[in-house]
Amino acid sequence: MVSGYGLKIKMKRNSSTKKEQQFWAFTFLFFPLMLLAIFVFIPILFSLGISFFNWELMASQQNFLGVNNYIEIFGDKIFYKAMLNTVLYTIGVVPIQTMLALFLAFVMNQKIRGRVFFRTAFYIPAVTSSVVTSIIFVAIYSKEGLLNSILGNFGFAANDWLTNPHTALISIMMLNIWTTSGYFMVSFLAGLQNIPNSLYEAAKLEGASRRQQFWHITVPMVRPVTYFVVVMSLIGCFQVFDQVFVMSDGGPNNATTTMAYYVYQNAFRYFRLGYGAATAIVLAGIIMIVTVIQKKYFPPNPY
Amino acid sequence: MVKSTLKYLILAFSLALIASCIRDKENTIRFSSWQSSPSEKRLTDSLLHCFSKKYPEYNVKFELIPGNYSEKIQLMLGTHSAPQVFYIKDFVAPSYLRYDVLQPLNEYIDKDTSFDIDDFYPQFLDAFTKNGIIYGIPKDFGCFVLFYNTDMFKAAGINDPPKDWAELEEFSRKLTKDANSDGKIDQYGIVVEPSIDKLMPFVFQNMGSFQDKDGNLTLNTPEFLEALEYYYGLYKKNIATIPTDVSMNNTEEVFGRKRAAMVISGGWFVPQLKDQYTDVNYKVAFLPKGKQMATIAFTVSYSSPKENLLKEESWKLLSYLTGKEGMKVWTSTGIAMPTRKSIAAQLDYINHPEYKYFMGSVDFAKVFQVEYNERWYSITQSAMQAIFYEEADIPQKLKQMEDDMKSLRIKK
Repeated sequence: MVSGYGLKIKMKRNSSTKKEQQFWAFTFLFFPLMLLAIFVFIPILFSLGISFFNWELMASQQNFLGVNNYIEIFGDKIFYKAMLNTVLYTIGVVPIQTMLALFLAFVMNQKIRGRVFFRTAFYIPAVTSSVVTSIIFVAIYSKEGLLNSILGNFGFAANDWLTNPHTALISIMMLNIWTTSGYFMVSFLAGLQNIPNSLYEAAKLEGASRRQQFWHITVPMVRPVTYFVVVMSLIGCFQVFDQVFVMSDGGPNNATTTMAYYVYQNAFRYFRLGYGAATAIVLAGIIMIVTVIQKKYFPPNPY
Repeated sequence: MVKSTLKYLILAFSLALIASCIRDKENTIRFSSWQSSPSEKRLTDSLLHCFSKKYPEYNVKFELIPGNYSEKIQLMLGTHSAPQVFYIKDFVAPSYLRYDVLQPLNEYIDKDTSFDIDDFYPQFLDAFTKNGIIYGIPKDFGCFVLFYNTDMFKAAGINDPPKDWAELEEFSRKLTKDANSDGKIDQYGIVVEPSIDKLMPFVFQNMGSFQDKDGNLTLNTPEFLEALEYYYGLYKKNIATIPTDVSMNNTEEVFGRKRAAMVISGGWFVPQLKDQYTDVNYKVAFLPKGKQMATIAFTVSYSSPKENLLKEESWKLLSYLTGKEGMKVWTSTGIAMPTRKSIAAQLDYINHPEYKYFMGSVDFAKVFQVEYNERWYSITQSAMQAIFYEEADIPQKLKQMEDDMKSLRIKK
């Protein structure tokens, strides 16, 4: 604490009035806040506004519709399909991805040979552009592609993963699990390194096995990180867009139309910006509700 | 210290402000298009070069839009920043024409005596005309014809391309074979695609249509159903394949890699065959006849936004590009077919061994446009996929398509 004390004294001596400090604080905050306002806050308010209009980009006049867009959403079959797809996608991806990330981090935290190599290998998909990974996976999933030729060795019939309506969504889920578990592995690694070694040593003395250590020390101790990871990946899953855009265009037969993709389609393909905005607001609402529920029933720190 | 920081901030701001004010010269005509191949880009450049040589007093700036073209143009029109001259595809034209965003060209056409609007094939002009007002001038056209692999035809003992539906099926059966007898078919008769634009020629050949004259949908009709059943039947009977079944991106690739003996494609496929698939010996033919000869044609217009400070200048460029001089430069490489009768005659495409099938198709080709919100395309695409991938019941799908599309009709 000595150094902290020293700093305090130094601050007092060199530094300035409160007013000046505030000036600097706002000077530094000004640009980020302005950028956030221009690119985030104002657009959010704007899209909320236009969701009440029959807003068409090229029309000279926009008609006010009130809540009619929202009423239409509730009768829109494709919207329900998109919502179902998104929920299925999230349910499929988030738990597997979180568990895989934690498991990878746990393994990477051990002293094993080639640890740095594996860490890099698992993290590379996270820093690769999603468009690039999507294109690679289009090739892997194709009928004469890598996945089928591997499965063919075990006697499975070739399946066209992305054009078969039963496997298209699962294929995109698998891709996403692969790309993002590496990313969340890093979060977990940071969390793991904060767990004091003494806990493990004590457990070892008591005769706890590796598995017991994992379930009774590691898992509870990284709970705040788990919370962060689950929230982030929930939001990411609800917004999944680029993989769908590149790999399947929402097809076949809307099997991979997700909510974010449907928003895009309405706004920019069907010339209906207002309706697109309304679907985006509904999506935002759903994400908010899910996050609140999660916070209430699965708090980051229950102890 | 505070003061000097403020000074820098102000300086930075004014710099940013100045930077945003630097604009193009006042009379610069901005021109946008997409680009389907590098050679098309080169051709566009040289065409614009010809224009500026002839009219050095005009500045033209070419702003290429490499992807998501329609979305981008839409945004630019909506935000009042559209280029002065740009492409519009026939396919999306109805959606643009219903808004008051494009410049009516009639007065310029009437004034400009050298332009000669009657020289154009009427169906291409009609694609960009609404209630007698012309909103775009068709720059060129392409249409679906049949490409067939002459080596495969010879090996199967067939001399001529199929002339009607019965022959198309018969030949496809003969041409489908498992060369190495491993139980997997190596060569299919024809490659098709679960897509509405490949289906429509068959519908038109069967005297069917997508919409009737009053704009009502005619999907749920015997003519449409029969065409779809025939088209899907080729695939179902295993004498046709689809690109995804052989891990390829499009039908052209399947033909180019010799996995199918026939493909329905357009003039844009010719350069690809010459550069990429040099070992494929092929010939071109008209699409086989159903109850009548029919195919669909594709055309693209040059249009101008209504909100435009350089209307005269824009017309100058537009009329040059679609005029007799510009169109001759553009179509002389065969990248696309001319929409002016006089140019077709000048270039003698009517007698060209390949191009004569494109030019000859003009007599019975229809431009396929749908007067419904763009969503109609997603709906038909989904239905086609359901039929091909999930073996959905065809009559039921057609009925469902009509129901889903009814509310999307564009109001006149």
